[in-house]
Amino acid sequence: MLNRRRFVVGAVLIAAAVSYLVYAGVRSTAVYYFEMDEFLGARTAHAGEDMRVKGWVRAGTIQWDPATNKLRFEIARKDGSGAVPVDFQGILPDMFAEGREVVVEGRDEGTVFRARQVMTSCPSKYEAEKTGDPA
Amino acid sequence: MTDLGRLAVCLALVCAAFSAGTSILGALRRRADLVRSGTHAAYACFALVALATGLLLRALLARDFSLEYVAAYSSSTLPTNYTVASLWGGQKGSLLFWAFVLTLFSTLVQWQNRDRNRDLMPYVTATMMVIAAFFLSLVTFITDPFERLAQPAVEGADLNPLLQNYWMMIHPPSLYTGYVSASVPFAFAIAALATGRLGDQWIRTTRRWALFSWFFLSLGNLFGAMWAYEVLGWGGYWAWDPVENAAFMPWLVSTAYLHSVMIQEKKDMLRVWNMVLVLLVFSLTIFGTFLTRSGVISSVHSFTQSGLGPFFIWFLLAVILVSGGLIVYRLPELRTSGTIESFLSREAAFLFNNLILVGIAFAVFWGTVFPVISEWVRGVKITVGPPFFNRVNAPLGVVLLFLMGVGPVIAWRRATPHNLWRAFAFPVGSGVAAWCALLVAGVPFSLAQATFALSVFVLGTIAQEFWRGMRARQAMLKERAPQALARVIGKNRRRYGGYVVHVGIVSIFVGIAASSAFRIEVQQTMKPGDVATVGRYALRYDRIETSEDGHMSSLAAVLDVSLGGQQIAVLKPEKRFYKKPQQPTTEVANRSTLREDLYVVLGSYDPKSQLVTILAYVNPLVVWIWIGGLVLAMGTAIAVWPGPAERRAEVTSGAFEAERA
Repeated sequence: MLNRRRFVVGAVLIAAAVSYLVYAGVRSTAVYYFEMDEFLGARTAHAGEDMRVKGWVRAGTIQWDPATNKLRFEIARKDGSGAVPVDFQGILPDMFAEGREVVVEGRDEGTVFRARQVMTSCPSKYEAEKTGDPA
Repeated sequence: MTDLGRLAVCLALVCAAFSAGTSILGALRRRADLVRSGTHAAYACFALVALATGLLLRALLARDFSLEYVAAYSSSTLPTNYTVASLWGGQKGSLLFWAFVLTLFSTLVQWQNRDRNRDLMPYVTATMMVIAAFFLSLVTFITDPFERLAQPAVEGADLNPLLQNYWMMIHPPSLYTGYVSASVPFAFAIAALATGRLGDQWIRTTRRWALFSWFFLSLGNLFGAMWAYEVLGWGGYWAWDPVENAAFMPWLVSTAYLHSVMIQEKKDMLRVWNMVLVLLVFSLTIFGTFLTRSGVISSVHSFTQSGLGPFFIWFLLAVILVSGGLIVYRLPELRTSGTIESFLSREAAFLFNNLILVGIAFAVFWGTVFPVISEWVRGVKITVGPPFFNRVNAPLGVVLLFLMGVGPVIAWRRATPHNLWRAFAFPVGSGVAAWCALLVAGVPFSLAQATFALSVFVLGTIAQEFWRGMRARQAMLKERAPQALARVIGKNRRRYGGYVVHVGIVSIFVGIAASSAFRIEVQQTMKPGDVATVGRYALRYDRIETSEDGHMSSLAAVLDVSLGGQQIAVLKPEKRFYKKPQQPTTEVANRSTLREDLYVVLGSYDPKSQLVTILAYVNPLVVWIWIGGLVLAMGTAIAVWPGPAERRAEVTSGAFEAERA
């Protein structure tokens, strides 16, 4: 029986190590995820914090300069209301277009949302579609 | 014709339900005639699903755009091979395809066991047919692939251009095969629990199926990684997206299972644990399907038709309740007397390997469902991204690598100092030597460095095993070295096949560690004539090349690549603009060598200023991930190939004898 107990100790140690890694990992890497409505409600409370926001690219707002790779557009509800400007410096994702569903990751700086990452998805297929740099 | 397809699916559903019912009834009442008609209904179910699948394929190839599915996922200009791939390219088709593979496997299992395991078979049939009935009812009632358009479309919307890729043709079928074949060991486990025949019988019968499932899960994951690497153009191969995790979790638990069954076969321990693992693998395949179809967890992959979610959740709950209940019911009989005597034993090493694998699966699961859980608990969605998975899994992976070296060579029961010396002197020596070499070479102290040193240690244990096996034969039978090596592998296929698989896994570990720790990334905007320095390479942007055909137009940046002043290649990263659906796609230019990949993406092009922005990556040793996959496939082939002893046993007694590992 001694051996069984010893083994249980080993197993518990491994479980504890995994739990600790998971706990520490979550603490140091978690970011908020807001739908557009939640974002508009929580903007002031979470200003300056890392977050992901899901919304739609408002029609007629895309300004893209391929020479400098600066992108500015407005993220909004599906109907175009509640628009917030987004700044992004980097490669334009392939699927990026007016009216598309996008997820932006970055920080809200009050007047503008500064995105580190813009991710797009195509709503008409369930298959994989990844663009932008998920790393 | 398509009405025939729908009819076939409906009848198949009836057959599946009938087969499940009569099989169980037959087993309970001990009526052979009922069991037989259950089996026949299962065969009929397969025939009908095959017919329906064939009809859908025919409609796709005939470009029958009056079908909603055909119009949505193909077009008249889509090449034939990708038209075949559209069979699983969309939700509806993929569920039918799933049912097809499942009923195919069920038929194979019936046939394999026509004279064997007769006590288990009714329950096996019933379990597989219940699963089939679940998928067929989705196809019948929710996602009918034979749905007609009110107005036949003139032209199809085409398969997503990102999916028009070689790897995408074989990635989903591999993964489905892996997912679906996991239901065979599950069905046998349920049968063992239901009948109370809890010995090794069900494990021996399903050993090859479990390996088969594991193998296709491995391939599916690797093909998916290759596709992401070649097509998506972000320089990496794995993004810890929920969909990738969905395929990775069953692989992890399946790997754990393959190892822990050996302990049950040798030591008659861990019966409960093995049952739980089999149940877990199957549940994770259903959970994975749920994840990819429900849209519950937001992913960079996109999902629609999320109406399926609740069905999968209810089915999953039913699976867990029924099989969990059966395990609890049989708990007294499942208990075994064996205990682990020492930490320094093979049993312990295998067990810790199991715990680590399940621990990684748990971490991946937790990270994947974290947004949902945090929303329940705190009312706000919180996500964790790739950094979470890397931070948690990298150290666990390193421990796993270490155990991979220990497990196969440490003694059973209790290792003596003599045994430890004999088993580990050479491997530890080579590992330490490699570590010193890395330090001298200036590789910084990191998990990657530990991975390299441990890899040498693991390869040392494997090389030593091959060497000793060969020498023993040489000494006893006076054979020449190559012959002795071939014979010793041939006589112990499962064991040496396993070692070869380990070599493949080591190769994958090394590739992942090097490419994530020492990757170089450069983004640069250039005008013609400009030079970008990327690691050892100099990339000179020459000009833009354009081309056009009926399907798409393309734009390529011509880059002269030189190394140490010597021109070595011309790379042409491209943007393509498909006509339909109108959408640009990225074509990566990749110069791959054993040492490193030079991976270049055309980020943007400004016609006015002639400026291009390129993204260039140097990914060291990536190729070794794919090579590792190849080695893994070879090892699996060696392990599943029936050995001479096995063939004899199968002929004489109908059962087969597990090789002495």
